[in-house]
Amino acid sequence: MRDPHVAGSWGACPLHLLTGLWCPGCGGLRAVHDLTHGDLAGAWGMNPLVVTLLPLAVLGWAVWTWRSATGRAWRAPRPAWAWTALAVVVAFAVLRNLPPLAPYLAP
Amino acid sequence: MSSSDPQFPVPGPADPWRKPDTGAAPGGAPEPGPVPGAYPSGPAYPPEPTYGSAPAPGYGSAPAPGYGVAPAPGGYAPGYGYGYGYAPGGYYPKNSYAVWSLVLGILSLVSCGFLTGVPAIIVGNNAKKAAAVGEADNPGMATAGVVLGWIGTALSAAGLLIYLFFVVFAVVMSATTPST
Repeated sequence: MRDPHVAGSWGACPLHLLTGLWCPGCGGLRAVHDLTHGDLAGAWGMNPLVVTLLPLAVLGWAVWTWRSATGRAWRAPRPAWAWTALAVVVAFAVLRNLPPLAPYLAP
Repeated sequence: MSSSDPQFPVPGPADPWRKPDTGAAPGGAPEPGPVPGAYPSGPAYPPEPTYGSAPAPGYGSAPAPGYGVAPAPGGYAPGYGYGYGYAPGGYYPKNSYAVWSLVLGILSLVSCGFLTGVPAIIVGNNAKKAAAVGEADNPGMATAGVVLGWIGTALSAAGLLIYLFFVVFAVVMSATTPST
């Protein structure tokens, strides 16, 4: 498996090439790569949002699988969660591109 | 999930009384004063409860189709008339679909492209279907989510194609340019 830390190993991100900005997913692949190698601190440095949301996503998927398998109906999460998710992702996208916070939030 | 109370059977999905425009007989709710706003199928179901219309098959549950089969995390079942508005998504259980579609659509335009754009289209279409049968009351928001999802998907797909074109172009150029 190619090491995404090596520049260009997985291609280049069009958004970053065009704008120089880091989108909320930037560093996500490197973060997952670090997680599979057990490097939690490194993964956090790559993309804290992905590191936080990944276990939640896995949990949500497990809950959905369980509910579907046992025949219990599954309800879509409340709208409040949707707006929260939007706010968090947009805030992350904005904050990680601000110079004072970039060392902590950007890859 | 259906109540076992024979007097107020919870209608299933094929229940002929589901559609509001069949002129559903006003079987009264068992408790006095059901919340008037709880009946989304307005004109066909008189808000004034006409109790004592005994001949109606005990249509004691909500007229909105899907209520009878909706899961009850907040406890719908025997207490028709209460529980509405207390459970999350009480009146319209599938309202959240359109909201998620809109959020995913916005994200697809802002940064995620087709990654959230395709789910936005799928969830938005499900939301529109839910609104068509009365399980949701926000088809406009669902349409917005679908539209944004399509725009985000199309733009990012076009961008990806252009990007790949340039990659191929660069590879071809470097491969065929004679080295000096």
